Amino acid sequence: MLIWVSALHCEAKPVIDYYRLKKSADNNPFDLYLSEGMACVISGIGKVSAAAACAWSAAQFQRRASLAWINLGTAGAGDHEIGSLFSIHQVIDADDGQRYYPAPAAADRLDGSACMTLSRPSEDYRDECLFDMEASGYMYSSLRFSSAELIRSLKIVSDNRHHKTGKDRRRVSELVQHQIDGIAQEAKSLIALNDELAALSPDAQCWQRLTELAHFSQTQKSRLRVLWRYLMNRGFDAEKLLSDLAGSPASTIISELEQTGYRDSEEL
Amino acid sequence: MASRVYVEAEIRDHPRTERLLQRMRAPAVIEIEHYGEVFNPRSQNFRLQKKNPAVIIARKNNNHVLAAPPGYGLGGKYNYYFSHMLNCIYDCRYCFLQGMYQSAHQLLFVNYEDFAERIAELAAQHADEAVWFYSGYDCDSLANEPMTRFCEYFLPRIAAIDNAWLELRTKSTQVRALLEHPVQQRIVTAFSFSDRVSHASLEHGVPSIAKRLDAMRRLQQAGWPVGLRFDPIVYHPRYREEFVALLNQVFDSVDADAIHSVSLGSFRLTRGHFRDASRLYPDEPLFAQQMVLENGIVSYPKEREREMIDFCEQELLQRIRPQSYHPCDWHG
Repeated sequence: MLIWVSALHCEAKPVIDYYRLKKSADNNPFDLYLSEGMACVISGIGKVSAAAACAWSAAQFQRRASLAWINLGTAGAGDHEIGSLFSIHQVIDADDGQRYYPAPAAADRLDGSACMTLSRPSEDYRDECLFDMEASGYMYSSLRFSSAELIRSLKIVSDNRHHKTGKDRRRVSELVQHQIDGIAQEAKSLIALNDELAALSPDAQCWQRLTELAHFSQTQKSRLRVLWRYLMNRGFDAEKLLSDLAGSPASTIISELEQTGYRDSEEL
Repeated sequence: MASRVYVEAEIRDHPRTERLLQRMRAPAVIEIEHYGEVFNPRSQNFRLQKKNPAVIIARKNNNHVLAAPPGYGLGGKYNYYFSHMLNCIYDCRYCFLQGMYQSAHQLLFVNYEDFAERIAELAAQHADEAVWFYSGYDCDSLANEPMTRFCEYFLPRIAAIDNAWLELRTKSTQVRALLEHPVQQRIVTAFSFSDRVSHASLEHGVPSIAKRLDAMRRLQQAGWPVGLRFDPIVYHPRYREEFVALLNQVFDSVDADAIHSVSLGSFRLTRGHFRDASRLYPDEPLFAQQMVLENGIVSYPKEREREMIDFCEQELLQRIRPQSYHPCDWHG
């Protein structure tokens, strides 16, 4: 599952349109847009809001095998051109100095930049990094639920020393829309990576049926999980195994799966 | 080549840092305060990161040289190891590095002088005895040689200490730097080999056996001492034929009588490393093989291990000088 986190609706709108995400009708604390395998949450401005939105989203989608994240928003910059898109490689919280590092698992396609997260809007532009108000909260929270390789922060320059777009919502959407192909490319590679990781987790329903076949102690369950994950990743037929194991006691089920695993693994 | 390089601000202007950056021509150089910010956080997935590891250039501030773990070594009384790098460019499933660090990034330390100083101190402490220093524990000693120029710095320094011995352990073919230096009998380059089946299944990114043997042969012909490491031996139904085939291939290329040392050991990992590696690779057959836990070490059941070691040992001893053989006796 890929979760987009944006502070404002105008920043997320091009993504919502591009992926045809539908607004959730539920009474949620954050505006939420959904499709199969993708969500977009509008956090509101500020790092605390961003952290809260991430935590809430992670709880909403906790049953998903793996979560990937993109923080999409606008940022201020010294001299970078308005509308430039950056993949953030270092996030610095201006209040406590804490630094975070997204870790792309593929070579960067986009230009990289550091981003400093401020608690208040500022016009003290510096050349060495971008400025925003959410990224550090987003990183702090999303890193609790996913590894750094599944977390991206993409920023589009909306303000610099010479020009300010910040409060013109329509213009912000246009700037994001202008970069939608690059953004979608990043999303595509992140989804592929996330799917690869998620595929290593066995189907939740099959796992539940397996654990209901007999009474397993916690130690047995740990062993069972290792064996089942291996066999499912090696393409064994879950239905056949479940049917063959039905009616056996826990120790026999584990022993049967161990023997199956031993036979399969000998050839390397 | 790494697409990202993290550099500690303190050593940003260090000549080795500058040379590394020049050589890597990385598009993104990110300044950090301490390598731990990037290397140590828990929220990292080694498996995913291994697809595109970054390089971290840093300074090592302490523990430059450490006592080698029991059972590690070639029978010498004083054994130490040091790591100018952490992590390896190769991706061998059986390697303890799979579960050792949170990060798969390659961490390069540039303060070679501090390592060399400590090596000299330790050698001086045991002045009348041979002291072994192993460099290929947390990394491959030579794989990054064109970048790190490790040999260029350390070979003359080890050579200048009369009782210091150095083992370079490698799966690479990077021997040019050694060939450019005067031969030194106290510096042994040890090449690790697995049979064809294990190589194909488990040693991702490692040069072919033939290419490595060619590198080994060139070193040996130049007069450098070379060693062989058959560790770990991994079980599969054809391990006997494949091990014999490997030995035949090896000793067709190199002179068995001139081999400095040969070691042999079966697959084993500490319980923690085995658990971490098998979580990272739940689809890996190696971790689904029948194993037992004994004294904190996960390994093959005794009978299987004995059978494998006995067979391989017997085959090996038909080809090498017995005094050059050093079994990896990890049972203690």
